[in-house]
Amino acid sequence: MRIGVVTFPGSNCDQDTLDALDTLGVDTLRLWYRDADLAGADAVVLPGGFSYGDYLRSGALAAKSPIMTAIQEAVVDRQLPLLGICNGFQILTEAGLLPGGLRANHHGQFRCDWQRVKVIEASPLFPGLEAGEVLKLPIAHGEGSYYMDEESLQSLFAHGEAWLQYVDADGQAQSWANPNGSVANLAGVARGSVAALMPHPERAMMDILGSDDGHRLLTAWLCGLERRALYARG
Amino acid sequence: MARFTAIVTVTLKKDILDPAGEATAHTLQQLGYPVAGVRLGRHVALTMDAADEGAALRLSRQMADALLANPIMETYQVQVESLCELE
Amino acid sequence: MRGDEVGLNPNEYESICGIMGRSPNDLELGLFGALWSEHCSYKSSKGLLARFGHSGPHVVQGPGENAGVVRLDENLEVAFKVESHNHPSYVEPVQGAATGVGGILRDIIAMGARPIAVADMLRFGTDEKSHAIMRGVVKGVGLYGNAIGIPTVTGDLGVSETYDGNPLVNVLAVGVRRSDARVGAGGACPGQWLLLVGQRTGRDGIHGASLLASRDFSGGDEDLRPTVQVGDPFLGKILMEATLETVSRGLAAAVQDLGAAGLASALAELCHLSKIGAEIWLERVPLRQPGLSPYEIMMSETQERMLLAVSEENLAAALEIFSRYEVLATVIGQGSASQRLILYHNSRIEADVDPDWLTEGAPRQTVDPSYWDALANQRPAVHHPAPSLARDLLLDVLAHPDVRDRFPIYRQYDSMVQTGTVYGPDHDAAVLKVRGSTHGLVLAVAGTGRWAAIDPYAGGAGVVLRVLAALAAQGAVALGLTDGVNAGNPHVKSSYDLMAALFRGVSDAAFAANVPITGGNVSLHNETQGQSIWPTVMMGALGRHSNPLHPISEHLGREGDLIYVVNPAPPNWNGSVAAFLTTGLSSYPRCDLGNVEKLLQAMREWVLSGIPTSVRTIGMGGLAATLVRMMAVSDPSLGVELTLPDEGFAETERFYNEAPLQWVAIVRPDQAEAADEYWRTAGVKMTRIGIVSSQDGIHIANRHDWSRETLLRAWRSLDKEVGW
Repeated sequence: MRIGVVTFPGSNCDQDTLDALDTLGVDTLRLWYRDADLAGADAVVLPGGFSYGDYLRSGALAAKSPIMTAIQEAVVDRQLPLLGICNGFQILTEAGLLPGGLRANHHGQFRCDWQRVKVIEASPLFPGLEAGEVLKLPIAHGEGSYYMDEESLQSLFAHGEAWLQYVDADGQAQSWANPNGSVANLAGVARGSVAALMPHPERAMMDILGSDDGHRLLTAWLCGLERRALYARG
Repeated sequence: MARFTAIVTVTLKKDILDPAGEATAHTLQQLGYPVAGVRLGRHVALTMDAADEGAALRLSRQMADALLANPIMETYQVQVESLCELE
Repeated sequence: MRGDEVGLNPNEYESICGIMGRSPNDLELGLFGALWSEHCSYKSSKGLLARFGHSGPHVVQGPGENAGVVRLDENLEVAFKVESHNHPSYVEPVQGAATGVGGILRDIIAMGARPIAVADMLRFGTDEKSHAIMRGVVKGVGLYGNAIGIPTVTGDLGVSETYDGNPLVNVLAVGVRRSDARVGAGGACPGQWLLLVGQRTGRDGIHGASLLASRDFSGGDEDLRPTVQVGDPFLGKILMEATLETVSRGLAAAVQDLGAAGLASALAELCHLSKIGAEIWLERVPLRQPGLSPYEIMMSETQERMLLAVSEENLAAALEIFSRYEVLATVIGQGSASQRLILYHNSRIEADVDPDWLTEGAPRQTVDPSYWDALANQRPAVHHPAPSLARDLLLDVLAHPDVRDRFPIYRQYDSMVQTGTVYGPDHDAAVLKVRGSTHGLVLAVAGTGRWAAIDPYAGGAGVVLRVLAALAAQGAVALGLTDGVNAGNPHVKSSYDLMAALFRGVSDAAFAANVPITGGNVSLHNETQGQSIWPTVMMGALGRHSNPLHPISEHLGREGDLIYVVNPAPPNWNGSVAAFLTTGLSSYPRCDLGNVEKLLQAMREWVLSGIPTSVRTIGMGGLAATLVRMMAVSDPSLGVELTLPDEGFAETERFYNEAPLQWVAIVRPDQAEAADEYWRTAGVKMTRIGIVSSQDGIHIANRHDWSRETLLRAWRSLDKEVGW
């Protein structure tokens, strides 16, 4: 199993993500935004950062880079498992691989803070993360306000694609626990083999840094990849 | 009195670097479009009541000077259109 | 062109004609104007800076290069430095602050070091315009730091009317390099290619630093305001990656960033430090808009550019790296053995100067030893008597911008990227783990404001001791100090004297602690309509932490734990926020410098001994505010039962005393005897001031009670005027 982590120009969490995956003992490789293929990666992470400086719209320019063509094909052809973190989430919505879009935070400021998120619905992509489970993860973004129209939102929930939600200390999706004005407090969505979240699990790998819930989340994702591989081998 | 919309288009002054424009141009070029340059701006639509078109224009310019544009780096253009007469 | 058009006085013009043996042409005059400006040459302050102690066992690189460098362990070295961007931040707060961050990061990169942390040290006025500037500056710091992916891990904020029209934006950056991948501006050789990399050159900030930062602001200077420089953190990021890859593969002989005075300064510095000359072909410099004159090309302050010296054999590989990152790289000249910097434009010689004329040839104000000696003399003190302890004053102190929680600011900064931030901006000092080392770093910053308003010597010394005390509280070994001095017009005697006294205080305290100052920045002419700011120094201290995954706590421990003040100062509230709010400005106390090194070492070893549970340095707001900061990170049910040794005015003077080198320590009852013994042996006073109780808040002997909620609400009050 090899996980590719894409470096776009302006990605700044690519190394952190590689470090986190290394901690979990999985093979990693760096993918470059101008690469035309995935160099045999079994799954891909689009890391956080400011690809192309967030210029035009965050994620919009990176979504047009050559590696994204290869990734889109692999998602369609072979359900490539794909995880987007922060800017990676923005790139995935811009590339049309996930529904909705991410707008500037409603208060107009960048926000770096610890945040609680709840698993809305258990996803086969993250075995072991149960519905209702609350994780403490850091956020760091200026454009993390998830948006979609009411009809799409209902369909998202109806299809079990609404994955993570910002919540308060009691696990309730209160409006004041929403750090950026996202619809329905959404912090992460998942569709098919693709999942993405605004918080940074790769920054929450050890207690001394504030939380090790990122370790749990990434471990669950890797576990999902293993299961999928076993299933594919029959 | 009448109701007007004023479209204020704010752009960076000619000599000021526009990093977002440059990055956008670069990507468009890589996608094969024959674009030589891109400058980004802001589109601000104001709705207001004023005595006449001239007054609406003056008011819009005042708002642009006061807030909408940063005079250190930006310039703007205003286009006023009458919507309807008010009682 | 005349000398005064580029900021040179008649004497300086005469002396230029003298060393050249002829009159300079316009471009040459522009080069001298830029390089001999206060901003580039430090002509008024170099004599004072030369008095600082620069050497120590951990120093790899002292002042003179793009940044100082100290040793972390056998394999790693740390570059760090502070830089100011005051005037640009006044003109355009967002871009001024953003380009300030970009500029200091490129200084670190030019040493071959990968930036791992930023700290912002800010001073703002109190009027409405200052609030807008503050919002813009904070946005700008985040705009650049967040996007380029360097965490802003600590900072310092001060607010006073003295900074109306003169905000201070000082940014400190820290970077790490391998000791076998050293580079600097001094390694270029004759024959090597000079590679200009990064942004195309435009008409940005022509003569920005040399004129703007070296003159006083008065209403009529609008025409001197240059075109604003815009920061591009995206290009900054890929430029950083490409440059660091070039350096780590050993392909660059020298690196110099382009900052103030652009190519003019970069070429002069690189040639001077490398002891070479150069031929430059200005028509090769890539331009953003056509038609820039050689003068404009040399003076442009377009951001995100670096100059590299690369040998013929490494050129192709270096160009390949920049091409892979899609960063423009152009050979614009070649080093020579001639000691001449010759600028060609389409084969025509436009300027021909010796680079040393521009750099070390700059005039320098000397400092007479007797003048330096007298700077330590006591000034007439301003002291105000304290009233007895009052309930509301504590809340006012906590809500003062110099004291209150900086949360509304630092939550706009990414403090966690790179995943090394063990203690971030919610702590007294940042504690960082470092990739590739078992050691970590401690970064403490603080600046004067009020402390140096009346007695700059006391303030300068106090702030050095403040940051070193914070390192000791983490058990860290101090590796070095960096200073950002901000002052008024050096040509006004009274203004110069105040700045000089500030330097002397910094110098004496650093010598007393035996910690070298490895570099820094001086920003002068911070003056509006003849009114100078308080001389203000921002200090950064960098320490080596032996166990960064186990930093010492800053919380109250548990119920029944004992609260001590180690090395309590005599009761004196002068210079404090509390005194300022009650009676106005007063003289910050001077501290006995005789025992500083031993005291810091004793604290460091005590922390490592494991006797105390928590230690926190007393800072702004005194003991009172320090206890509240500790409470904020503690179990919410815990409070403090205080028994101060005095009542009446002396109680107030202890409660708010901001004198340096005092620490609050939390000790378990079973360690009390060991603690007493330790400090008795060390010959340092330790006073028990209370106990951790199960009643939340602060309680003083049945006379005063403040609940946790009341205290934290005051301390966390958002600044409504600023709009947060």
